[in-house]
Amino acid sequence: MPIDINEDNLKHGLLGLVIAIVEVIRDALKHQALRRMEGGSLTDEEVERLGRALEEIDIAIDQMKEEQGVTDTVKQVRDGLDDLVDDVLDQILNPERWKEAEEEKAI
Amino acid sequence: MAEGRYVYCIVEGAQKAQLGNIGIDGSRVYTIHYKDISAVVHNSPAKPYESKDNEVVKNWVITHEKVIEKAWEKLGTVLPFGFDTIIKADEEKDQKDPEKIVKYWLEEDYQSLKEKLDKVKGKAEYGVQVSWDTKVISHMLTEKDEDLKKLSEEIKSKPRGAAYMYKQKLEKLLRGRLEREAERYFKDFYGRIREYADEIRMEKLKKDEEPRQMLMNVSCLADKEDVKVLGVELDKINNIEGFFVRFTGPWPPYSFV
Repeated sequence: MPIDINEDNLKHGLLGLVIAIVEVIRDALKHQALRRMEGGSLTDEEVERLGRALEEIDIAIDQMKEEQGVTDTVKQVRDGLDDLVDDVLDQILNPERWKEAEEEKAI
Repeated sequence: MAEGRYVYCIVEGAQKAQLGNIGIDGSRVYTIHYKDISAVVHNSPAKPYESKDNEVVKNWVITHEKVIEKAWEKLGTVLPFGFDTIIKADEEKDQKDPEKIVKYWLEEDYQSLKEKLDKVKGKAEYGVQVSWDTKVISHMLTEKDEDLKKLSEEIKSKPRGAAYMYKQKLEKLLRGRLEREAERYFKDFYGRIREYADEIRMEKLKKDEEPRQMLMNVSCLADKEDVKVLGVELDKINNIEGFFVRFTGPWPPYSFV
């Protein structure tokens, strides 16, 4: 399938990809922050600072997506990543089903 | 060029049927029978249909399905075949008449084709998709779960940064609860559908429009009579607050042959 590339959609796609990756990193950060908070190793003040910093990242990302008009592109990239991970997990959890599909393809 | 027969499906009965010029590229569709089973075919070249143009292929596949539906409607029980099933003359067996080859193939596989036809006789395939509205369900869960309720009250009294962190905590808890509920509902619905379906096949969950989320996607093989009760049962599920059921069919039994 030919891919239609021009300067505009290249910029658009690249930006969408970059922001999607930033979001994934942000989510990992959030996850870590939450674990530390729940683990009780943070003071109230540290929790407050961490919360504000993460909130600002959220706001900045949303603003950037809005301004550049890539909200949908970012969502597509993330959905694509989700599907990929789903498939990998499914292959591990339900090997029989994938074997069947492979055999069908072979015919 | 060598001639072949493009096979759409197998039907029950020995009738010599003409379905008209409804096949791929307007070809004439008719039946070839052996004993009491028949193949629904058209005369084709002995090579598969191929095109680089996706639109063209899509139209072929749609035509393929339409022919199966027509055969199903007119001739009764069908065993649908996949797109591009072509039987061609076999040089080795020195059999150059494709018509005879189809008969020969029906004869050879008669037993297993017959069994498969019996399995789907009087039955049809139905699609059942159940989704829920995560917003509505989350709200209901928060209302009746003490932990969640307490946490969401607590957030209101926190300073901004801490409130953000506690909101993340609440969302995480809620996700866990939603997963548990999803599993519980899935088991319940599956059991209820199972009672009215002869066979169930799990299909991959698809993305629904937010905030809807698909919980279950199955194909059922069900008796055309029993299906009314299945419909009633699905109505009950559809009436639960926050749940939506999509019920499609009847289709020829594509997923069960």
